[in-house]
Amino acid sequence: MGKRVILGAVAILLVIAAAYASFYVAPEERTMGVLQRIFYFHVASAWAGMDAFLLCFIANLLYVWKRGQKYDWLGVSSAEVGLVLTTVVLITGPIWAKPAWGIYWTWDARLTSTFVLWLLYVSYLLLRTLIEEPERRALLSALFGIFAFIDVPLVFFSIRWWRTQHPAPVIMGGPGSGLDPTMNKVFLFSVLAMHVLAAFLIVERYMLEKMRSEVDILRREAEAQ
Amino acid sequence: MSLFSNTAILLGKELRTEFRSRELLTTTAVFILIVLVLFSFAINPGTEEARQFAPGLLWLAILFASSLMFQSCFLREQTNDTLSSLRLAVSDPFAIFLAKLIANTLFLLMTELLMLPFFAIFYNIPLWSKLPVLILVLFVGSLGISIAGTAISAISAQARMRELLLPLLLLPLLTPVLVVSSLVTGSLLDRDPIVQWKGIGFLAVFDLIFLTALWLFGEYLLEE
Amino acid sequence: MKNLNSVFAAYLIGWGVFFLFYISIAKRTNDLRAEVERLKNSLPRGK
Repeated sequence: MGKRVILGAVAILLVIAAAYASFYVAPEERTMGVLQRIFYFHVASAWAGMDAFLLCFIANLLYVWKRGQKYDWLGVSSAEVGLVLTTVVLITGPIWAKPAWGIYWTWDARLTSTFVLWLLYVSYLLLRTLIEEPERRALLSALFGIFAFIDVPLVFFSIRWWRTQHPAPVIMGGPGSGLDPTMNKVFLFSVLAMHVLAAFLIVERYMLEKMRSEVDILRREAEAQ
Repeated sequence: MSLFSNTAILLGKELRTEFRSRELLTTTAVFILIVLVLFSFAINPGTEEARQFAPGLLWLAILFASSLMFQSCFLREQTNDTLSSLRLAVSDPFAIFLAKLIANTLFLLMTELLMLPFFAIFYNIPLWSKLPVLILVLFVGSLGISIAGTAISAISAQARMRELLLPLLLLPLLTPVLVVSSLVTGSLLDRDPIVQWKGIGFLAVFDLIFLTALWLFGEYLLEE
Repeated sequence: MKNLNSVFAAYLIGWGVFFLFYISIAKRTNDLRAEVERLKNSLPRGK
């Protein structure tokens, strides 16, 4: 219990420090001004989200192979946290786009792909609510999770190709735009902070899931009497 | 018995079952037709812009039709309780999937070919000269839809609200197919047609990746 | 500094989402703990 509190405290401290750095340490960008600072938060969330989904994929594979309940708990926890992070990406993207391009949604390749990613994992969680038996739910959602994750690179490539055929405004500069060294350090620090925050949220969600399954067993014992 | 012969026998069963009643083929074909007509009401048909939307609309219609078509894929086995006997009959459970996905691809392709004349007439698009490549694109696209559809059908058959769940799970997964197929078909049917081999190659890669995933994990989908 | 509002909005809404998620976990955890107590008390009585 103590370790969890420490992890939470470290996460909050890092997030606050990263925000401070994003505003006071990183130099102001020439063309976009202060608006560009959303980048540190937006992209760090995106990377942490992808890693959460990667963790979900690994948990799914482990469940199909070993059938340990803990892998199912890890799967749902990392999927939910990944979804929360991805939601933040989808909210901060348009907040950036409106002042920069005048419209909220520009069908930018990365943001559009992120939206499909979001839909895939919403479906994963919805599937789980529609299967009652715990082992069947764990197995089928793990299998769908595997299919969903292998689809992710295909989604990103196809949408990127689609956008090269029909160019559209790009969110926060294309891949070519290099970063000044200080900006890069602030960015990497933000990425670290987001990952620690994600780890904390995954641990908390995992513990909740573990408790839920124990309560289910207790409930069944109580009903049997 | 080898995978090939197992699959061939099961494929024969799938085809015979369907051709006895032809209900799946006819309902799917009519559905695509209805969707194409409805799309015409939603946009301004006959204009140049409508012509540009047409390839995307065709693939949207195919995707929606496939969400309905795959409902019965594994549900049929569940209602008749034939799944356990199927699994006992074959040494490799992949044969069951292979047979179903080949059958589904064939059914999908047949309905698409049936719909092509209507599509050409409604949207005023000459297809004849581009037919071979068009059929190739329809094939690689439909194969991808079938592979994913067969896998998802096995999943949704075991959950509640399966009629709504199947498209919910399938459609996001098939985004790459919709995006690339529409693009390639669009370029093909343009005034200055181009064959986008890169896109056709991508669809083939999609098919290969999902087929491999189905091969690796299929047996778990059928676990009791 | 124009656009500062947008930047603040982005950070605050982002943190808000994380915070709401954490609160929902904490609430569900507390509800479960209460149910565990209830169930544990009902079990020995049943016997």
